[in-house]
Amino acid sequence: MTEDEIRDALRAWIAERNPDLPPGEPADDTPLIERRYLTSLQVADLLLYMEQLARAPIDPTRMKPGVFRSIDAIHSAFFS
Amino acid sequence: MIDAPGLRWKGNGQSVLSGPLLDLAERLDRRFLSLAARWDAADHRFPTFIAATVLERIDWFRSFPQLATFPASLDPDEANLAVFTDGEPVDGEGRVHPSGLAPIRDVLTPAACYHLYDHHEGQTFDRPRYFTTHNTCFRREDHYVPLERQWSFSMREIVCMGTATETRSFLDEATTEVDRLVAGIGLPVRWEQASDPFFQPSKNPQYLMQQVDPTKYELLFDDRLAIASTNVHHDHFGRAFAIGRDGEPVRTACIAFGIERWVAAFIHHYGPEGPWPAP
Repeated sequence: MTEDEIRDALRAWIAERNPDLPPGEPADDTPLIERRYLTSLQVADLLLYMEQLARAPIDPTRMKPGVFRSIDAIHSAFFS
Repeated sequence: MIDAPGLRWKGNGQSVLSGPLLDLAERLDRRFLSLAARWDAADHRFPTFIAATVLERIDWFRSFPQLATFPASLDPDEANLAVFTDGEPVDGEGRVHPSGLAPIRDVLTPAACYHLYDHHEGQTFDRPRYFTTHNTCFRREDHYVPLERQWSFSMREIVCMGTATETRSFLDEATTEVDRLVAGIGLPVRWEQASDPFFQPSKNPQYLMQQVDPTKYELLFDDRLAIASTNVHHDHFGRAFAIGRDGEPVRTACIAFGIERWVAAFIHHYGPEGPWPAP
């Protein structure tokens, strides 16, 4: 997948679980956890989805502070 | 193991303080209370029990079952009480043989601030609100150390309920104030990212979340003993107890002080008999 396709897929995954999001959200720099677009109950599901996108297991050592802060942070930590 | 005049270790995870040590503990709590006054935080005194239904709403039992201590009482049925009195109520090893127990509906408070969220259930705020409370807290542990790791201990907390920005500002200010306090006392401390002691952490999504979104920082004395912590709860309690702000669940954050641990830090750093600097 291209970088744009991965970002689109991540944005769509977040939007699907937050039907009340304003148009254009989440942007790539939207703070996902702080705005509660991503909760603790959803992180594990998102990880599974990211493994599908990456077609590879996620390295658990990458679970560091800030890696789920935004779409930008997720892409940088897991897909770049 | 700490040994100091005015400290008696009970061996069951609890201690007795008297004399200058009790005075130190009380002065410390008053100092934290004066810190709370910075935000005009209203003081609350809650009972020792908290309803199990309150903790169930925040999924506390699945996250921390190993910490729970329950107040138990005998089933009041006369025949059951007779079985108890006719038997051996307490055996030679100190174990109670309780015959039948009445249903358990409460828990001995595991953290002081939980009462505040229950207390404000269903309320809506239009500005940041600050509260403080002190309680005896109970946490079952696999081992105990006088003043440092006790089954029952004293906790003072200051809580902010507001927006994400307000709760963040509160913790920034509280951290700065505590840094100033410990610098004045001269205690060797540093802040460190920490995790709550989740049961089976690898299976708990809240533990995973705490790794990627640090919400807890502990003030470590001598690189090992957490004497205070700051905690960001996001909307966890606001959502669970329907406390609102600007049409959304309120955000909450708290700073907590373990009084006996501060006393331990003073003893380790300045000796068991003082003189101790004024908190």
